[in-house]
Amino acid sequence: MKLALPDNERVVRASCYLALVALPLMVWSIFDPRVWPVLVALSVGQAIGTASFALFIVAVVRDLGVRRKLKEQAARDSAP
Amino acid sequence: MHGESLGWMGTLAVASAIVAAVILVGYLVRRPSFDGTTRLWLLLGLGVFPIMSAGAANVSGFQATQSREFCGSCHVMEPHAADSNDAKSTALASIHARNHFFGKDNCYTCHKDYGMYGFVLTKMGGMRHVYYYLTEYRSMPLEQAKRDIRIRHPLPNGNCMGCHTTTAPRWLSIGDHASSLAQVRDGSLSCASPGCHGFAHPVTKRGVELLLDGGPLTTTDAATALGLTDGGPGDAAPGAQDGAP
Repeated sequence: MKLALPDNERVVRASCYLALVALPLMVWSIFDPRVWPVLVALSVGQAIGTASFALFIVAVVRDLGVRRKLKEQAARDSAP
Repeated sequence: MHGESLGWMGTLAVASAIVAAVILVGYLVRRPSFDGTTRLWLLLGLGVFPIMSAGAANVSGFQATQSREFCGSCHVMEPHAADSNDAKSTALASIHARNHFFGKDNCYTCHKDYGMYGFVLTKMGGMRHVYYYLTEYRSMPLEQAKRDIRIRHPLPNGNCMGCHTTTAPRWLSIGDHASSLAQVRDGSLSCASPGCHGFAHPVTKRGVELLLDGGPLTTTDAATALGLTDGGPGDAAPGAQDGAP
């Protein structure tokens, strides 16, 4: 079974929503530097923020057609 | 923020987060096409500013983990933090809390590992504290915590010697220091022991431990130490007066 990502617009919008969740989580500990806010900021906040950025990178790579160009390059290189 | 300013790292983190959020909300509301300009704005909103915010928030967060406010935010550490906050306390920890250079971070300053990888090891130890707190101490009554929770390993004298070098003439000019130099350096005699500078946290010590710390207690002192009176057990801290940092 092949997993198919939604179209780029949806991926970017999901990335934006994730970032809007991650940003307050990461900043929360600055206003409330106790154990749980700091732990959440350094773990959950970071994880969601990283996921958000990764989705954006996926969208950009797909949009630029990097995989297709790499395949074409490989085909040219292997041609006699 | 509990009365303190954000600091420039905190300000940078918050400002970056706000800028990123404005860009992202703008994108979600306007829904422009995914062209080069939009990609550039999104790179700022999803990449540059959030990474800047995360980096600054991380530094700020790690700095926060060094503060007494952070250590005292688990209820089992409240007696320690409260004793350090008590300007009249003569406990060793409280005396260090009044130091202008590191007073608000006195827990971390005294308990951190001084080795090359001290910061990492100290943070790993902190995560162990969190684990134990979640699994064992979270619902432990404070009185039981004061009685049962003890430091995992005795505080090494090396932690004291990080600031109080045993080679300084002023340190050696004190008779008790000079006579116990070898024992202090090899760790067989703790600086924070009865007869020397006393317990760092007498507030959590009970009658038997306090009896060891500087001789017999009065009936009132013993009752206070056992929590049988309204007075704070931190007042019963003989032998801790001369531990100025």
